[in-house]
Amino acid sequence: MLELKITVNGKSYCEQIPAHLRLLDFLRETLGLTGTKEGCGEGECGACTVIMDGKTVDSCLVLAAQCQGKEIITIEGVAAEDGTLHPVQEAFLEVGAVQCGYCIPGMVLSAKALLDAVPHPTDAEIKETVSGNLCRCTGYDKMFEAVKMASEQKGAK
Amino acid sequence: MSLQKPFITVGKSERRKDGRDKLTGKALYPQDMCLDNMVFGATVRSTEPHAKFTLDLDAAHVCEGVLKILTAKDVLGHNHHGVLFKDHEVICKEKVRRVGDPVAFVVAETEEQALYAAGQVKVHYELLTPVLDPEVALQEDAPRVHDNHSNLVYHYKCRRGDLKNVYENAAVVVERVYDTPFVDHAFLQPESGLAYKEEDGTVVVLASTQYPHFDRMEVAEAIGYEEGKVVIINPIVGGAFGGREDLSMQAHLALATIYTGRPVKMTMAREESFYAHSKRHPIKIKMKSAADADGKLLACEAEIIGDTGAYASWAINVLRKAGVHVTGPYEVPNVHVDSRSVYTNNPFAGAMRGFGATQVPVAYEQQMDLIGEALGLSPYEIRKRNIFRKGSITGNGQVLVESVPLERCLDTLQEAMTAEPMAMSPSPDVKVGRGIAVSWYGTGYGNGYPDVSVATIELCKNGDINLRVGATEVGQGSKTIMPQLCAEALSMTPENIHILCENTNDFEDSGTAAASRQTYNTGNAVKVATESFKKALLEEARLLLKLNSAAGLVLEHQEVYLPMLPSKRIHFSEVAKALEAEGRTLMVTESFTAQTVGMDSETGEGAPYWPYTFNAYGVEVEVQIKTGRVQVTKAWCAQDVGRAINPALVEGQIDGGFVMGLGYTLYEDLGVKGGHIQNNKFAKYILPTAMDIPIINKYIIEDPENTAPYGAKGIGEPVMVPVAPAILNAIADATGVRIYDLPATPDRVLKALVAHRNQNVL
Repeated sequence: MLELKITVNGKSYCEQIPAHLRLLDFLRETLGLTGTKEGCGEGECGACTVIMDGKTVDSCLVLAAQCQGKEIITIEGVAAEDGTLHPVQEAFLEVGAVQCGYCIPGMVLSAKALLDAVPHPTDAEIKETVSGNLCRCTGYDKMFEAVKMASEQKGAK
Repeated sequence: MSLQKPFITVGKSERRKDGRDKLTGKALYPQDMCLDNMVFGATVRSTEPHAKFTLDLDAAHVCEGVLKILTAKDVLGHNHHGVLFKDHEVICKEKVRRVGDPVAFVVAETEEQALYAAGQVKVHYELLTPVLDPEVALQEDAPRVHDNHSNLVYHYKCRRGDLKNVYENAAVVVERVYDTPFVDHAFLQPESGLAYKEEDGTVVVLASTQYPHFDRMEVAEAIGYEEGKVVIINPIVGGAFGGREDLSMQAHLALATIYTGRPVKMTMAREESFYAHSKRHPIKIKMKSAADADGKLLACEAEIIGDTGAYASWAINVLRKAGVHVTGPYEVPNVHVDSRSVYTNNPFAGAMRGFGATQVPVAYEQQMDLIGEALGLSPYEIRKRNIFRKGSITGNGQVLVESVPLERCLDTLQEAMTAEPMAMSPSPDVKVGRGIAVSWYGTGYGNGYPDVSVATIELCKNGDINLRVGATEVGQGSKTIMPQLCAEALSMTPENIHILCENTNDFEDSGTAAASRQTYNTGNAVKVATESFKKALLEEARLLLKLNSAAGLVLEHQEVYLPMLPSKRIHFSEVAKALEAEGRTLMVTESFTAQTVGMDSETGEGAPYWPYTFNAYGVEVEVQIKTGRVQVTKAWCAQDVGRAINPALVEGQIDGGFVMGLGYTLYEDLGVKGGHIQNNKFAKYILPTAMDIPIINKYIIEDPENTAPYGAKGIGEPVMVPVAPAILNAIADATGVRIYDLPATPDRVLKALVAHRNQNVL
């Protein structure tokens, strides 16, 4: 067991964890944040995407132990405290880019990370970002539309 | 239908009811749920395709945390299940028929302990010769997959007209063989479930499914309980596409909770998920088509064989649908079709988007292009001369009485594609080409099977409406459009319609979320029930308003009022309150049954499906001739929908169906060999990513069908059906090379290109 000091969605935690615990299971089981999903367990589908120190990672491939002192953002931390949706979330709703929803948390985080780094991405940049998240339902088209719409909103961050 | 009031909500892209929760991580899938005192299950599955077996549980029993190991003898009820034939065993007793057959179910305190102990279960196999090819399985001396049962599960026949002399008199005859592989639904959410017992002894199973009431029946049978003592909860389904129709873990969990007295949870890893659910039937089609000098089709002769693997699942219905649809949406006077589904020791095949009608256009739409080529007619022209129009008669003798806008779809496609000239090839190694395909799809259970949907409308105390209906939300948006249909009939907006569709105690059996039947069938039940409810509500209102008659009463914003004297008005909540004072509630249930007629088993004559949905899709592709890699760069999709209840949801289906079709055509293959799935992980089973998709131009074609709710037809499956042949026709256009077997992976395209080059050189 080891002691992990980590910040998740702006809140600091200090937990005793087994060394082999995946970040995905730390978030879902230890912290009860079930928004991050497991789709494949091998880093292929992106359903487990979270933002770690500003960059997206597949949390099924990261050990919690590797996150000492890091800042993690999960889907639960994307909307504002008062419930106001992030422009990406709002755009996904408006455009109709959600179907079964299982890929959505990972997809939203990938989009958010992109817009945080590149406020007005090109179509090619959006495509490449989204390509790390598999979706079996939507065919991706409306997701591009949504990300573009979100990027055109003022103060999209 | 003239001078119709504009719709209030039908035709509006209302926001999804479940969208916000899914976008904020609040939506709970079975894997996200936990209960106190919970224990965990793990399945032990066969690693052999055909064998007798015995178990040695000694090592597993002493593993840490193990509470119970279930084997066949622990099945309390009937050890069987299946969507049509009960040919699956809940837990195999002494024989396995496929790799992945469940032989034991381990229950332990933690997930890790359950998985470890499952690995300690020793299975001793006495190998039996497996049969792995359906054509071999049909031979006299082939091993029998199921004792006392022929390997032939089903044989569909269609005999229309007479083939005699047709081929001699035809201007062109085209004969080819086409083949399609085992592919997977690959829904993003792996199977997961929980089961627990309530205080009164009721067993509750919580797991994603397309048909909660059917699961309830199957679980009850497996555990030996009455259906009334079993509850199925279907919280959220992370994609289905036909892969959540057969039981996966539901009976195992139910048994485990009965034996341990504790809640039991299980979540499958992706590798196990690939084995746990059904596959798309691999189908081989030998097709012979004949046409006259004007390009009019004279005959369609097809021999179809589908590999249903170790268990039948929907073997009958899939190969029947394939047999019906293989003519294509064309008038053909002489039809001779045999379609067979066959048991083998391969992974079992069942429902997957398009259900037989997706495989056959790989044949019929390439046949059309080949006929056109032979006669010097363009792909549009050859199709125009043969497509169904209103009043056309199908190969089964069914009259297509209405809602056949196929020509409009084709014209829309032609106009759109012509308006945009084909791109120039970006390099000498890249060939550009275009292809089109039209298709048809018969929605609903079909073939005279009673396709019944039931809906209940209930007045809430606060004046809102409860819509109790077994319309399963699998991502397609039924939780959004059913309230829209209800709202429209009550002249209100859908926010205050609450849909209850997750717990079998809350609604009546409304059939499965499959066969693209929910919008038409269950939508009709919702509409009819709402109209009856409205009548009853108006009657209550008129009494409370002390009026002589309900005539002239109007609904608006959840109020009933009389326009000629607007002070005569009452809110729904006031009606509810008044009823409550009398100890009454207002709840109305109605059903809708679709109309189809079963086909004659010798001739195929009948009306097997209604309504049919049509489409015409086109693509532009780039083929890299040095690598065989195909990229679809543009797509145009003209989709017949009857009426778009929610256009954004319709577009989402077209997008999703197109991309699933793209994967089917270019990347996906489970690589079944020796009965094993070689590609049972995403690193090897290649799904399309955002980099693979073209610009998808969508055209919604509305031609309302008169028995449908506001004219709307089902489109969930039709949107996948024409994609593969459009891409294959485009590859042929670009390179002169035709691909007859899916998937058109780079190695296969390259092989065909090289062979073509060598042939031309000779």
